[in-house]
Amino acid sequence: MSAAATEAGTLPDAPSGSLLHRIVWHWRHNPKWELWFAWWMMVVFYNLYGVLFFMVTRVQPPPPAWLDASSVVQWFDDRHQGLLVGFAIVFLITGFIVPTNALLAYSMRRMSVSRAFPYSYLVIYSMSAVPGMLLTCVALTVGAMRPDRDPELIHWLYDFAFMAFDGTMGVFLIGSLVWMLAILLDENRVFPKWFAYLNLCNALTEVVVSPAWIFKRGVFAWDGAITWWIDMVVFVIYTTVFITLLRRMIVREDFGTGPLPELRTEEEAAEDARKPSVSMGTAR
Amino acid sequence: MRRTDGELILLWTLPALGVIWISAFLIFPGFVHPMSPTMSAEEVAAFYRDPKNLPRIRYSMILFNWFGVGMIPLLTLLVLQIRRMAHRTPIFSYCLLGCMAAGPTLFLIADLFWLLAAFRPERDPALIQLFNDLAWVTFTSQVPYLIAQSVILALAIYLDRQSRPVFEPWVAHFNLLIAAALVPAAFVGLAMGGAMAWDGLLSFWVKNVAIGLWVVVMGIVLGRAIHRQRAEEGVAA
Repeated sequence: MSAAATEAGTLPDAPSGSLLHRIVWHWRHNPKWELWFAWWMMVVFYNLYGVLFFMVTRVQPPPPAWLDASSVVQWFDDRHQGLLVGFAIVFLITGFIVPTNALLAYSMRRMSVSRAFPYSYLVIYSMSAVPGMLLTCVALTVGAMRPDRDPELIHWLYDFAFMAFDGTMGVFLIGSLVWMLAILLDENRVFPKWFAYLNLCNALTEVVVSPAWIFKRGVFAWDGAITWWIDMVVFVIYTTVFITLLRRMIVREDFGTGPLPELRTEEEAAEDARKPSVSMGTAR
Repeated sequence: MRRTDGELILLWTLPALGVIWISAFLIFPGFVHPMSPTMSAEEVAAFYRDPKNLPRIRYSMILFNWFGVGMIPLLTLLVLQIRRMAHRTPIFSYCLLGCMAAGPTLFLIADLFWLLAAFRPERDPALIQLFNDLAWVTFTSQVPYLIAQSVILALAIYLDRQSRPVFEPWVAHFNLLIAAALVPAAFVGLAMGGAMAWDGLLSFWVKNVAIGLWVVVMGIVLGRAIHRQRAEEGVAA
């Protein structure tokens, strides 16, 4: 794969024109286009999800688990159009989360570990959106579609939606542990080892959330200070960290199979530029 | 025995699958004249309780339950063709594997809701209507992985920069067109009547015809690609 490394090394600087111009340039010339495509999809879609769930549909932060049926009907009435429009957009774009899972799987493929890790992660996380998010959106869409439905049934849809969202635990638990184990075993230095333990934190949030299946009030309910807020803080930190680390991985990628080259400082890069014989892809 | 022999066997399951899917579609009494979302709970319950309908609902949905995921081996063949493309990473084939894992699962969930509605039709009509709503909304709105699959496949084809690409560029254009045809179905929650409703022109007919067309066209181009691959392997051997 030295040809790839050389190609990456001799790549001229991207033009600084309009955004479209730059995208076209990268599409034509950037050997890492596929990886950057997946990374940008991840950034765009995590942000869109934030907007859709917190602002358009206003289903997050979650409403109380203890609401009675008539209050739940009122809750649906308050955000009727937002739920229907917001979830329609979710249905439109959710498939574009798969490049994220593909990139995460790719990070494990770049490690010195067995292919069993990327494949199991890919399948677990691709399937996770079905119970963990889409069923929630379907249930709330069905609830919003017929406001005149029996309040008890609307209440059931409300429980179904929020428990599917918060109470789907295993996929994220096992998925995070697979990633953690791969990072700990990896000898290609794709990620720093401390990130493995952040995966463990993310996995543990799924244990923390489990009392939501039992408690309807208080810190352990699905909207509780522990169950929701602590988990959300961990999730935001975890996501921000892996988005940053994956970006770094793509920059470092040399399309080789050995240890991933470390990032160089600007001085080192300038030093290398003065010595043209040093290939950019060489591991330090 | 060549590796592609097994692939050809899998490919030829497609016509059989097509016959089963079309039969199941015609057997289900709520598809040929799709059920309207404006039906009252009593009308929905009467539809399921009708002795002429009930067996047809159950048999068609059992057929879909058996064979709804039958496309997965064929989609795997598509993944293998993406692997042959001149890409630098397996990102696109991973993406398609991800779509494959989630897409048919969603169809299976819609199928479960229909079967549940038909399981005890003597239940309170409001409950029958609830299961019926869940089935139709899941069935109609759950296009996300089909849209992503077509768009990602199109990108993969455009980036297959070699003298004889695996699929010709028109296959990519075709996939983008199919993805566009599936878009209105995502908005099914917004309309109880008209073209956007779950029995409407866009959300039902355009969407389902687009899926059918995609299966047929991709089956043919996949077959041609596998045959070409066999011919090339034959020369190499």
